[in-house]
Amino acid sequence: MGVILAQVAVSGILLGGVYALISIGLTLIFGVLRVINFAHGEFLMIAMYASFWLFQLWGVGPYGSMPVVVALLFVVGVTVQFLVIRPILKASASMQIAATVGLSTLLQNLALVTMTANYRSVNTPLSKAVVSAGPLLLGVSRLLAFLVALTITGLLFLFLQRTYLGKAIRCTAQDRTAALLMGINIDRVYLVTFAIGSALVGVAGALLMPLYPVFPTVGAYFVLVAFVVVVLGGLGNLTGALLGGFIIGLVEAFSGFYVPELKEAVYFVVFIIVLLIRPTGLFGVVGAEEVGLK
Amino acid sequence: MILQAENLTKAFGGLAALKEVSFGIEEGEILGLIGPNGAGKTTLFNVISGFFRPDQGRVVFAGETVSHLKAPRLCRSGLARTFQVVKPFGNLTVLQNVMVGGFLRTADPGLARERALEVMDLVGLSGRRDTPAKSLTISDRKRLEVARALATRPRLLLLDEVMAGLNPAELVQMLEILKRIRGQGVTLLVIEHIMAAIMTISERILVLHHGEKIAEGAPREVAGDKRVINAYLGEEYLLA
Amino acid sequence: MSVPTRSEGSMFSAFRFIPRRSLYVLAGVAVMATVVAFTVKDKFYLHLLIMMLFYAAVSSAWNIVGGFAGQLSLGHAAFFGIGAYTSTLLFIDLGISPWVGMLIGAALATFVSGAIGYPSFRLRGPFFTLVTIAFAEVLRILTLYAHDFTKGSIGISVPFRPALQNFIFRQLSAYVFVALAFLVIMVLVNLWIENSRLGYYLAALREDEDAAQALGIDTARYKLVAVLVSAFFTALAGTFYAQYISYIEPFATFSLDFSVLLAMMAIIGGVGTVWGPVAGAFLVTPLQEVLQAKLGGELQGLHLVVYGTVLIVVVILLPQGIVPSLAGWGKRALGQREAMPAPSLKGGS
Repeated sequence: MGVILAQVAVSGILLGGVYALISIGLTLIFGVLRVINFAHGEFLMIAMYASFWLFQLWGVGPYGSMPVVVALLFVVGVTVQFLVIRPILKASASMQIAATVGLSTLLQNLALVTMTANYRSVNTPLSKAVVSAGPLLLGVSRLLAFLVALTITGLLFLFLQRTYLGKAIRCTAQDRTAALLMGINIDRVYLVTFAIGSALVGVAGALLMPLYPVFPTVGAYFVLVAFVVVVLGGLGNLTGALLGGFIIGLVEAFSGFYVPELKEAVYFVVFIIVLLIRPTGLFGVVGAEEVGLK
Repeated sequence: MILQAENLTKAFGGLAALKEVSFGIEEGEILGLIGPNGAGKTTLFNVISGFFRPDQGRVVFAGETVSHLKAPRLCRSGLARTFQVVKPFGNLTVLQNVMVGGFLRTADPGLARERALEVMDLVGLSGRRDTPAKSLTISDRKRLEVARALATRPRLLLLDEVMAGLNPAELVQMLEILKRIRGQGVTLLVIEHIMAAIMTISERILVLHHGEKIAEGAPREVAGDKRVINAYLGEEYLLA
Repeated sequence: MSVPTRSEGSMFSAFRFIPRRSLYVLAGVAVMATVVAFTVKDKFYLHLLIMMLFYAAVSSAWNIVGGFAGQLSLGHAAFFGIGAYTSTLLFIDLGISPWVGMLIGAALATFVSGAIGYPSFRLRGPFFTLVTIAFAEVLRILTLYAHDFTKGSIGISVPFRPALQNFIFRQLSAYVFVALAFLVIMVLVNLWIENSRLGYYLAALREDEDAAQALGIDTARYKLVAVLVSAFFTALAGTFYAQYISYIEPFATFSLDFSVLLAMMAIIGGVGTVWGPVAGAFLVTPLQEVLQAKLGGELQGLHLVVYGTVLIVVVILLPQGIVPSLAGWGKRALGQREAMPAPSLKGGS
């Protein structure tokens, strides 16, 4: 039994890494732009479809095509930021939500119309490969997803700490006005942040393709998980998103083991409880949820 | 005494905003509240009007201890306030704004409307009835702020710098409005920086400095008080 | 109704303040719908009319929370589903007339809305929206899970036993009248709210919550009232849906897509106004029904591509929605000024 539980736990942590990656993009965007992108899940869907088609049409595996997918998502991010996000930055929170929800609906159904509702999967030799660590079996794809997710997160942290642009991003997140006064080009920071957040989702999509099928509403599923993670970790808090990802990965793994039919309900209930009792999450700044979004 | 403040203390983190402030307000009087910037005047308002809880001390309003009550409940008891940075309901018209105040005492829109028109007349906003509040000039916004609070039929009205940003002519009008309000039996506690204005209108003055009460009494006395002069030395103050 | 004296007065006198024009428009809609119901025989068009009236009514119910109270809920499907499942299960398992079941379902939904709504009001902006989404999703999953009771994903079919007390009719036109009655009630309720203390207070707390509290408004209480009323009527719509479509299952009734659709219609038409949701529904529904009927499985989802785009465009270019924007242009063209400018979700805090 102990081995089984350990197996479940490991499974949860590995998946948690990918959840973390998806959520970090979302929380980064929120922390800087103060906008919750309800279409974040659809970006993931786009990445997965891109990964799928690159494999389908040109035989390039998801790991190999990752740079292309990431570049694509970066461009998507820039485009959306310019066309949709920038014009609504001054609008009320409700209007921002409405716009990104509209975008989400648009993208989901565009996929439905162009690619049909069929589930598409990528099957490479790696997909089924398994590696053993003692009594535990680890799916290679899952393990790779975990490792790449952690690496990218580490790189992101380095970027934010060491580079000028990274610091500019952090400044803008802390105090928009002060950053402006310091001569930081806020517009450009917003653009880059949104694009980076989207690119991170691109990585996640490429990593998920060997593990999950893609279909038009796949984003909706993952984005809800991402919301739970982001709120749990504290909106705008990157470390929180990382840890939150692992926590939710574990919660999901164990509830999937004990009460598979209620798996999703469990983390939604966790979500509701966190929102009602400590909306700032485990690591957030108290009062952030009251301020809403300045 | 319509209001009694006893040993009010409030700190934010390490900063003591109010230190054992005690005073009383007689019904029907106009009490002026002055002090250099950062003295704690708005904090005092926030504590009295139920937006902050005092760390220590208590507030007694019309015989009832109200220190831990929240703003809406206090307003219903007859204690209303305005905000230093005015908060009009921008997308509603002037009339609608004031009606929101009027609805406190009646659920009937007709009666609320009547009350609103009455009050708007008193402050001189009748001509702007259907103007969206966001289009108003600063002077009219200040009047709106007062009108709205007045529509709730307060016994005590806390006015936070209603004269800031007004030109001399508007100032005189505002002083007139305050006198008219008091004439209706409303007690006023007024924060103001414009010395000439506050000195003329108030029966008594209360002076705060670094969160402490340093003087209380008739305007002339307070103006001559050494501690008050010291507090203001080096500070810019306005003679209208 | 007696004439209120000067010292009394009643909240119902808000009816006196409803602009005549609005009542004329309402009467006009009612007359047109009635005429169509009597003259048109084509089932598709009758169905379309029913759907238009239905969505207009539900979207109007949503608008009480999303528009008047300014709280963007994307979980209204929860109340809709509670209404649909309660009345249907009571009808099928216990033989209780759906008219009664409808009220029971609405009462249940109202209670639930209060229980989850009250603690949620502290949350601003997206936090509130997220909690509503989570809540509806939990209900959907629970409904799937309790399949012994609710038949789970298989869904429940309402048996065709036409009778007035069964809320099942042979003639489509009967459903038109029920939907129309529902819409008329919703519009009157909204018109009343807009001109009453509740409406003024909701507008105030939407604009500036601190200022509202300083004027004696217990903001949590009024938001709660808005949610209770909204949930009640949304649940009624759920029963109508169950009785008309004759089939319910968790995905259709509890889905996030449905909640989003309600919000979308109201926002496109003009959130926070009385006619906005109606206009939004009247514009959006035909597109949906026509595309679904003509293109069927082929280009499923195309109408949603359009909606999504329209929603984005509206938010960016016409944030007040179509109705207030048109009214604004009309006013300027005629050189008039309107009595009550349409409240909007833009700006403020």
